[in-house]
Amino acid sequence: MRLGLVIDLDVCVGCHACAIACKQWNASGTTGPLSDYDPYGAEPSGVWFNRIRHFEVGEYPNNKTINFPMSCMHCEDAACVTVCPTGASYKRAEDGIVLVDQDKCMGCNYCSWACPYGARELDRASGTMKKCTLCVDRIYDESIPIEERQPACVLTCPAHARMFGDFDDPDSAVSRAVRERGGYQLLPELGYNPTNHYLPPRKAPPIPTENLGKPGFRERLKTFANKLVRR
Amino acid sequence: MSAVIKTENHDRQEVKYTTCYMCACRCGIKVTLEDGKVRFIQGNRNHPTNQGVLCAKGNAGIMKQYSPAKLKKPLMRKPGAPRGAGEFVEIEWEQALDLLTDRLELIRSTDPSKLAFFTGRDQMQALTGLWAQQFGTPNWAAHGGFCSVNMAAAGLYTIGFSFWEFGAPDWDYAKYFILWGVAEDHSSNPIKIGLEKLKRHGGKFVSVNPVRTGYSAIADEWVPIRPGMDGLLALSIVHVLLSRELFDWEFLVRYTNAPWLVVQTPGQKGDGLFLRDEAGNPLVWDLEKQAFVSALDADIAPAMFGEFVAPDGRPVKTVMSLVAERYLDERYAPENVSRECGVPAEQIERLALEMAHVAFKEQIELDIEWTDVWGRRHDKVIGRPVAMYAMRGISAHSNGFHACRAIHLIQILLGALDGPGNFRARAPYPKPIPPHQLPENNLDIIHAPNTPLARPPLGFPTRPEDLVIDAEGHPVRIDKAYSWESPLASHGLMHMVITNATNHDPYAIDTLILFMANMAWNSTMNTKGIQEMLVQEDPEEFGQYKIPFLVVVDAFHSEMVNFADLVLPDTTYLERHDCISLLDRPISEPDAAADAIRHPVVTPDRDVRPWQEVLVELASRLKFPAFTNKDGTRKFKDYKDFIVNFERSPGVGFLAGWRGKDGTKSLKGEPNPHQWEKYIENQSFFAHHWPDSQKYNRFANKEYLEVAADAGFVGKVEPIIMQIYSEPLQKFRLAGMGLYDGPQPTNPADRERLGKYFDPLPLWYQPLEQQRVDAEEYPFYAITQRPMFMYHSWDSQNAWLRQIMAQNYLHMNAKKAAELGLKDYDWVWVESHNGRIRCQIKTMEGCEENTVWTWNAIGKQAGTWGLEPDASEARKGFLLNHLISELLPEKPGERRITNSDPVTGQAAWFDLRVRIYKAEPDEVGSWPQFPEVKPLPWDDGRRPAVLRYNARSDK
Amino acid sequence: MHPAFSVIFFTVSSGAGFGLFALLYLADLLKLGGGLTPQQVWVGGAIALVLIIAGLLSSVGHLANPKNAWRAFSRWRTSWLSREGVFAVAFFPFAFGYVGLSFLDLGLEGLRLALGGLATLLAWITVFSTSMIYACLKTIRQWNTPLVPANYLALGHYTGALILMLVAAQGEVELAPYYFLVLAFLVAAAFLKGLYYFWIGSPVAVSTINTATGFTRAQVKLFDAGHTHGTFLTQEFGFQLARRWALALRVVVFLAGFVIPFLWLVQVGPQAGGGAGVALVALLGVLAERWLFFAEARHVVNLYHGAQRC
Ligand SMILES: Nc1nc2c(c(=O)[nH]1)N[C@H]1C(S)=C(S)[C@@H](COP(=O)(O)OP(=O)(O)OC[C@H]3O[C@@H](n4cnc5c(=O)[nH]c(N)nc54)[C@H](O)[C@@H]3O)O[C@H]1N2
Ligand SMILES: Nc1nc2c(c(=O)[nH]1)N[C@H]1C(S)=C(S)[C@@H](COP(=O)(O)OP(=O)(O)OC[C@H]3O[C@@H](n4cnc5c(=O)[nH]c(N)nc54)[C@H](O)[C@@H]3O)O[C@H]1N2
Ligand code: SF4
Ligand code: SF4
Ligand code: SF4
Ligand code: SF4
Ligand code: SF4
Ligand SMILES: [Mo]
Repeated sequence: MRLGLVIDLDVCVGCHACAIACKQWNASGTTGPLSDYDPYGAEPSGVWFNRIRHFEVGEYPNNKTINFPMSCMHCEDAACVTVCPTGASYKRAEDGIVLVDQDKCMGCNYCSWACPYGARELDRASGTMKKCTLCVDRIYDESIPIEERQPACVLTCPAHARMFGDFDDPDSAVSRAVRERGGYQLLPELGYNPTNHYLPPRKAPPIPTENLGKPGFRERLKTFANKLVRR
Repeated sequence: MSAVIKTENHDRQEVKYTTCYMCACRCGIKVTLEDGKVRFIQGNRNHPTNQGVLCAKGNAGIMKQYSPAKLKKPLMRKPGAPRGAGEFVEIEWEQALDLLTDRLELIRSTDPSKLAFFTGRDQMQALTGLWAQQFGTPNWAAHGGFCSVNMAAAGLYTIGFSFWEFGAPDWDYAKYFILWGVAEDHSSNPIKIGLEKLKRHGGKFVSVNPVRTGYSAIADEWVPIRPGMDGLLALSIVHVLLSRELFDWEFLVRYTNAPWLVVQTPGQKGDGLFLRDEAGNPLVWDLEKQAFVSALDADIAPAMFGEFVAPDGRPVKTVMSLVAERYLDERYAPENVSRECGVPAEQIERLALEMAHVAFKEQIELDIEWTDVWGRRHDKVIGRPVAMYAMRGISAHSNGFHACRAIHLIQILLGALDGPGNFRARAPYPKPIPPHQLPENNLDIIHAPNTPLARPPLGFPTRPEDLVIDAEGHPVRIDKAYSWESPLASHGLMHMVITNATNHDPYAIDTLILFMANMAWNSTMNTKGIQEMLVQEDPEEFGQYKIPFLVVVDAFHSEMVNFADLVLPDTTYLERHDCISLLDRPISEPDAAADAIRHPVVTPDRDVRPWQEVLVELASRLKFPAFTNKDGTRKFKDYKDFIVNFERSPGVGFLAGWRGKDGTKSLKGEPNPHQWEKYIENQSFFAHHWPDSQKYNRFANKEYLEVAADAGFVGKVEPIIMQIYSEPLQKFRLAGMGLYDGPQPTNPADRERLGKYFDPLPLWYQPLEQQRVDAEEYPFYAITQRPMFMYHSWDSQNAWLRQIMAQNYLHMNAKKAAELGLKDYDWVWVESHNGRIRCQIKTMEGCEENTVWTWNAIGKQAGTWGLEPDASEARKGFLLNHLISELLPEKPGERRITNSDPVTGQAAWFDLRVRIYKAEPDEVGSWPQFPEVKPLPWDDGRRPAVLRYNARSDK
Repeated sequence: MHPAFSVIFFTVSSGAGFGLFALLYLADLLKLGGGLTPQQVWVGGAIALVLIIAGLLSSVGHLANPKNAWRAFSRWRTSWLSREGVFAVAFFPFAFGYVGLSFLDLGLEGLRLALGGLATLLAWITVFSTSMIYACLKTIRQWNTPLVPANYLALGHYTGALILMLVAAQGEVELAPYYFLVLAFLVAAAFLKGLYYFWIGSPVAVSTINTATGFTRAQVKLFDAGHTHGTFLTQEFGFQLARRWALALRVVVFLAGFVIPFLWLVQVGPQAGGGAGVALVALLGVLAERWLFFAEARHVVNLYHGAQRC
């Protein structure tokens, strides 16, 4: 299995729901709590696994705004794992999920240097590196109803812009979406082979506007015979 | 490599279903608790509103529950301390209630109007309205007047339902969707769910908005219109449709007043009113019978166009003829509006044609049998799958009522309302046009002590006689709603209350109760001025403020709390019983009538009480008739008891589900003592799914209207005919022109406004403030947008949400900024006719060139909301509100007039014009800065350096 | 990259220590300038060890959770950081043996030199590993080059040579070879550093905001990063140095690191050796170099925070 996410940029409205759902679930999850620094002070910040950025493509008035959620891509060639000196970072053989063992991490930050996608954040309070777990503590929890055994961010996304599934299975929804919609990876030139894929915005087909009505109704109206329409 | 992942221990967990109130969308939530601590809040998959999803705010409920800004105990202004100094003493609830009861008793037994009770972002107006009515004061309203009454009024005076909660797009069938001026809306989750559905089905999504963020980001086409110009754009689209005869004849003839005949006697009384028979029925010209017949009859073949002579000799024309005459005029040709709107003519034309193509060439036919209100069976439902939705980009302008009507006119011409793929009504709508509910205006009743009003304080006037004015024509309500200044103010004018009450205009009040409204900050215009008014002393009454007693009912330490004489601390949404009623603004969806409840899932750890309970308590103490038994004893033990047992009319109460003694009846039935339990068992909501035959064309759907009449949604089974031409407006216009048999205004300003703006057909005019402000001096339009992850002022206290945004910027078009020599993060001065602010700018591409904008309500007053005084919200964030005046710029010889839509009194937030220039290098930080608010008595001001929330006990 | 002092100190200090150690050993082995005295050897060795240990301690101080530091030896098969740790630790027994035997003067010359030889090998590998910690990262273009190990080795040896010259100056040994050793490494290091600066200045950015977002056919700009204040990512990677400061600092690097020491050395000539002054100025230059090494490195994650290219 190769589990990961597909993010549909065609419909992501940038609402940040997935980011907060992630925060909420993981605060009390396997690698929680996720520290928040200066939470009510001048410059609040904290540990997040999923952040939403907003880009603009093109120039006014031909510009498009792209909302861009990013979390761990669970890369196939995850340098974050190979560079980790302690073995705290690992990639699970059975499903490809990349995790950090909180009991082993020494907080050297090195894996975060190796990650191109900004997916790893150090928790200063625990001194350990934290990252998206692909909600491994939800998706395999058999006491959660089966339809809810999905990452918290996927469950919550109001625009259904997030899909979770197995990329090794060519018939899975994620594989199909990537195939049919031209799903792509970020920073492909770095060779991490990220599992998560992004679906580009769709192009709406043009709507025909020819042969619609007869122009000149204003003139016609002067000599107009009503149409007989019964109620 | 693999490792066993420990999943969590659920033994000590408990799951409860209730309703979110991180915003007014009111999604169903499933709350997992561990030892009473919130572990996880997720969407309820079965809930009609959110279908399992949850927005950012909803997901951050935990951090609201654990906010340091929560109020903990009733507070009284410290004796001797000036108002607004933030000096409070804690008092007991009994003391607070005694004090308030005494004061209210006195008011009620002397002059009930001296109580003004206004509410903000609550969703319990059925209860607060009833309470005010029972108290006997006309001075009650909710936030609608400053929110979106333009949408409500335009819809309810035109199509019988409306944008803003009383309708929703049919996402399942729509193929073309136009979103006008919406950043987020109340239907936060449904719109997001819907847009994805629409796009997945291959539908086209067009967003008309000066700014491209959020929803507009994913639009297939973005129309960067100039603010305030939508009416013109819409009417130009109407022009294109008409000029090619692209309209739905059947729809217009059957369901609208297009063929009704309008008297054409300019300058005479009765001009512009419908030609009616003796019984008062409007008339049409029947092409087959070649006679005038009642427009309400079933078997008619009305002429849609034409001029006729009435039997009494008066010339008459059909509404549609008037429509054609007006909108076929070259004034509305795309090339003639393009420059003003900022939208290219080709684009306007193309948009109109695209809509027409989808409406007429891609029509949907569903094999659903239904019966029209005239008794005819139809074996199909036809859908013209163009849907629209519009909100504050339209409503928050002083020409918004007409702009919204113009949008409805497009929908009507396309026959694209309440059918498959259209904008469709949500129960209890549609209602008669306008709804049959008039505001109380009987002065004897209003002034009678200890007497409830016979009618609710708010309603829908249809003629000048329905205004709430005294014999001299002066306003009777403190907000001047239903006066000549704002005749169709169906939601009141909350934004005028503090100004008017301070000016004792029209009169002085004694007590102002504000519930869930931050009127000292983000929900008021002219914030600085308003704060000054709140502490203004009355020179005539020594030691008394202009507004003598101010009660604030809030759950958090808002800016408003700081000005209170009495603070009543409310619970959070996870701690209280609540009901989201069909009598109010329910959570219905087009396919289901629905309501919901909240019940406590977390036990309060403070001395707070739900305002609902307090209202029932006060009502009982004050012995309101509806809350008191014949023998003078109290009728309802508490709020729960009230909700179950109160009946507005026999069988109709606050909750529609599980009625009847045994809980088997829906919508209508005797009270069920176990109704709350039933709701809780059923995940806290009730949905009555409409059968297919009752889903569409409900304005003329017999089966539906029968059920609706029975449930009390409508008075009786009769067609709801859409009013392209609005006769109520014309009556007010006649009054303005001195041609009305009935009340007429005497003030020239009122007469001019009625004459100009009460046009019976949709109209575009330049927003009022802009008519008085020099566009060269103030070259930019300035507007706000709601961030999807913050609800007004509520969420800066939220440790998670504020990390996303702790400071707002003024955004402007990158090219324009470069022209002005401005770049990202420059501090600039922004000036309007009302004042100036300093803020930081950030440039972008997705902003119309003449527009600047910012996120709403991010700026905070230092010391409030549980934040440390140096919080970015206070030091760098800002409010645009300082620049917006609640009054129009002065005009010589004219009294000061509200900065609102002249028809509805809707606050014109977005009419603002500003100029911008770079601040000096040493001028940094946002300005104005207000005095730092003192911590409340229980607060030592200390905040944690690190927050590590975890609800699990097994970790 | 955020130029963390602990890491700057670590690399400079241990780099100098390892460089010193290796050169000391070679000088000892090859009897450079007539041969160092045993005392000079063990003093020089001790200085090297102190520098290395101070550096390593500083690097442990950089850890947020040092109690797990011992685990860092476990992943030497894939991690240069782990390798660095392993080799550094492996270095010590040999190095101590070599220095100890020099100090004790037990006459086990063969063993002493063998231990020293092995330690020197490990020193080189360790410095190489340290440099590879940076050079292996594809996320940072400015580091992902063989010039980085070359620089690290050259600079380590250069600073080591400077110290060695100080040590040598304390005895009878002929200074000239040590002097020329310094000059040789100075020129090599300066050349490699120059090359490095030239190379990172070349505009061959492979990763851009376009490849980062997948929108490759139009201008892409960041509108909002989704958080108002700093995050771990902006703190760790967001460090940005204005171009003119970078240039000014490069001037400092060259002046203090190479030009002044060079002129000074040329001025005083091979017999005087320059003394501690030169070493101190050069150290300043190398610290500036190391600071710049971090400060000028642009992690690709910056593309998600507004950078156009990295
Ligand atoms: N997350 C969140 N949700 C909320 C709220 C909140 O505070 N936060 N508030 C709730 C409330 S009270 C309300 S009333 C609703 C309001 O919901 P919206 O109607 O979405 O309100 P605004 O955010 O004011 O959005 C106004 C939009 O209109 C655009 N606009 C401004 N002027 C014009 C114009 O002249 N023409 C056009 N076409 N567009 C224009 C603005 O750019 C902006 O995108 O949202 C509700 N939902
Ligand atoms: N510039 C600008 N200003 C605007 C707007 C705009 O678009 N631009 N929008 C306007 C609109 S449409 C609206 S509706 C208003 C919104 O204005 P309001 O309705 O006033 O909304 P808020 O100010 O966010 O919240 C009011 C108060 O509710 C309190 N509150 C929150 N939860 C509870 C609770 O459970 N119980 C009680 N008792 N109190 C609670 C909060 O603490 C806060 O003090 O803002 C208006 N102001
Ligand atoms: S929840 Fe969905 S729509 Fe919202 S930001 Fe995340 S991915 Fe985008
Ligand atoms: S995204 Fe970063 S953290 Fe996640 S697997 Fe890839 S490299 Fe590692
Ligand atoms: S921070 Fe932790 S997980 Fe990352 S490389 Fe260091 S030890 Fe490994
Ligand atoms: S999969 Fe889970 S951990 Fe990863 S971003 Fe989504 S919610 Fe967060
Ligand atoms: S939209 Fe969000 S905040 Fe509003 S009720 Fe729904 S989940 Fe709660
Ligand atoms: Mo609102």
